[in-house]
Amino acid sequence: MEKEQFEEKESIELIADMIARTKHRLCIGDGNIMLLWGYLAVAVALLVWVLLVVLQHPAVNWLWFLIWIIGGSITPKLARKSRDKSGVTSYVDRVSNSVWSLVGWCSIIATFMCLGFMLFAAKDCWGVMMVFALLIVGMAEAVQGIVLQERSLIVGGAVGVVCGIFIMCCLVGGIMLYAHWCMPLFILAFVAMMIVPGHIINHKAKK
Amino acid sequence: MKELNALLHSQLRLAVMSILMNVADADFVYIKGITGATAGNLSVQLDKLSSAGYIEVKKEFVGKKPRTTCAITTLGREAFCEYVEALKEYIKL
Repeated sequence: MEKEQFEEKESIELIADMIARTKHRLCIGDGNIMLLWGYLAVAVALLVWVLLVVLQHPAVNWLWFLIWIIGGSITPKLARKSRDKSGVTSYVDRVSNSVWSLVGWCSIIATFMCLGFMLFAAKDCWGVMMVFALLIVGMAEAVQGIVLQERSLIVGGAVGVVCGIFIMCCLVGGIMLYAHWCMPLFILAFVAMMIVPGHIINHKAKK
Repeated sequence: MKELNALLHSQLRLAVMSILMNVADADFVYIKGITGATAGNLSVQLDKLSSAGYIEVKKEFVGKKPRTTCAITTLGREAFCEYVEALKEYIKL
């Protein structure tokens, strides 16, 4: 590509060619970040569930923070690595990053709010985090799926939203969130929301 | 008939602008790979586009490696659209 001047028709062909070549990259990224959050959420939920059954102590619930700490520290590194590997940020990537940043900030605010209620009002509001993890994350994922036109994300997100609404109804209706049904629901929702779409996206990216 | 923007009516510069119109930003290696240009030539053309205010070039270090990232500016976007409009007149699309 060294020619300085060229025909008008060639210009149109060149523009079309460049758009086509960059379009290929816009299809889909890799699903490693989703897999990280999915497996992390499932592993921590299983750990909390087992310890709750064995120890019968509510302090075990502090372990939920592991999702936040581990996921929050590894995600920027993975995102950076993925961006460096591809060498390009598409507009879809930008929308996606903004949506997930918003979810991240909302989760921080929600966590501190629940902590505040617990410390200053002696009220247990941690059930809200369960709703947040399913409803808001599911919604964000469905939006990402719509932008990327990836059905697994839309379906996974919808599963999360439905589970989140269900938990919210239970909380509002005063139904206790017992671990024996709440934990499997949380785990299944995260498998549908993160693990399945993550593997599907990686499989498509490899193709 | 509108005159074609001489800065854009060059194969490599137009290719770079077409790529940057389609993405939020792209690094030097990516653009080099897509266009198939040599590093020296691409660097010269990026400087020309940057001097005209059509693109923004950001140089940074990722670890120990230098990285050059390019993004189109509003001025560049307008110039590109005008160029395409002028092209349409030329080839009577």
